[in-house]
Amino acid sequence: MKTKLALSLALFGGSLAASGLVWAHHGGSEYDTKNLRTLKGTVTEYYWANPHCQIFLDVKDGSGKTVNWGIETLAPAVLKRAGWNPQLLKPGEVVTVTIAPSKKGTPIGMIRKLVLPDGKELTGGELGERPPQQE
Amino acid sequence: MPNDPTHCTENRMRSHACVLKHVTTSLCAVMALLAFSALTVAQSSPSGASASNASKTKSANAQTAKFDPHDFSGVWNPAPYMQPKGEVNPLDLGGNPNPLPPFTPAGRAAYEANKKFVAAGDVTSCDPYGVARNFFTPRPFEVINARDRVLQHFEYYSDWREIWTDGRSYPDDLEPDYMGYSLGKWEGDTFVVESKDYNGKQFLTWQGFPIGTGLRQTERWQRVDRNTLKILFTFDDPKNYAKPWSITYFWKLKDYQLDAHPCTISQLREWDQRMGHVDGLPGLDYGRPDTEKPGSNKK
Repeated sequence: MKTKLALSLALFGGSLAASGLVWAHHGGSEYDTKNLRTLKGTVTEYYWANPHCQIFLDVKDGSGKTVNWGIETLAPAVLKRAGWNPQLLKPGEVVTVTIAPSKKGTPIGMIRKLVLPDGKELTGGELGERPPQQE
Repeated sequence: MPNDPTHCTENRMRSHACVLKHVTTSLCAVMALLAFSALTVAQSSPSGASASNASKTKSANAQTAKFDPHDFSGVWNPAPYMQPKGEVNPLDLGGNPNPLPPFTPAGRAAYEANKKFVAAGDVTSCDPYGVARNFFTPRPFEVINARDRVLQHFEYYSDWREIWTDGRSYPDDLEPDYMGYSLGKWEGDTFVVESKDYNGKQFLTWQGFPIGTGLRQTERWQRVDRNTLKILFTFDDPKNYAKPWSITYFWKLKDYQLDAHPCTISQLREWDQRMGHVDGLPGLDYGRPDTEKPGSNKK
């Protein structure tokens, strides 16, 4: 039986609580925005397309086993405004991501922050305007 | 060129192809203007000033800068934080929005049915969001002035809306659709948009507030200052709401251009399949009939 898409009602923190909405496109996954995780891994694929871009990362778990994670992002239009581009990541590069993990415990997460190999940090993009005091 | 299938007569102007063709020239001009504006702003920023000071200066300048109150052209990004407290919040997605619109019993029942449909995933249908739902999606839209209408290009789903400003009345042969049919006129410095002719197949907001085919939507657009657009929406839909109710929403003028974000089933499917390779879970349900939503109120 196919699982229908679930609109995740999980909201970003801060001002995005009023303006942010993120929906899981796969497996009915909601994201746990209260228990963020940071993962360091090797890029296996960087997929730049609508509706949302994806990063796939090989990450070693506590037992040393390598797990391939699927990281969801917002749409290309939103990422571009946050400094991303289609050539940003290449397979083999080591990056660090902060994600809101799937509540189902599967190796899926929604991007919150990306740290590039050179140390440069990018957010996962903004939905709507932030209040001025948070600029 | 009557035999040219891309030739856009007035009767054909509501098709996406015609709108796209008609506004291409306007878009190029607007993009060029925006690029020039961005360059001017960048060059006039005080070098060496902190980002904070630059931001404050920019904000102060925006409030005093001259602008044409009858010109909304440009890219506008929603500022949900500016909505007055106590109004129905179209992005209160916690499952129990408070306050709720003044539902009729039929409207309440439709809302409850729509909530389940939203949770089950109306994204997979790629149905156009229409207005007002696209207004309340936290993504920007662009306004383009044409000779006889104002055009809105919504980044989300790359959708278009026409607001006729040539003094026409509603045509007798209206064909209901997601966007409705919109007429605009000026009352002083307020652009008043009246819309009807909705097909009742879309929601008013993300929460699933229903739309009836009898909805009459009024928008009162005002430029509060150069960088701020305010729209007062009033929804008059006697089948679903016991009385007309309103939302006040704001947008900020931006110096970037919109990007393409069409909704396509093939892209959704590819996205879904890639995630499925990672977690092994079943994917989305694309097989169900779309367009008919359980809470919609068709004629």
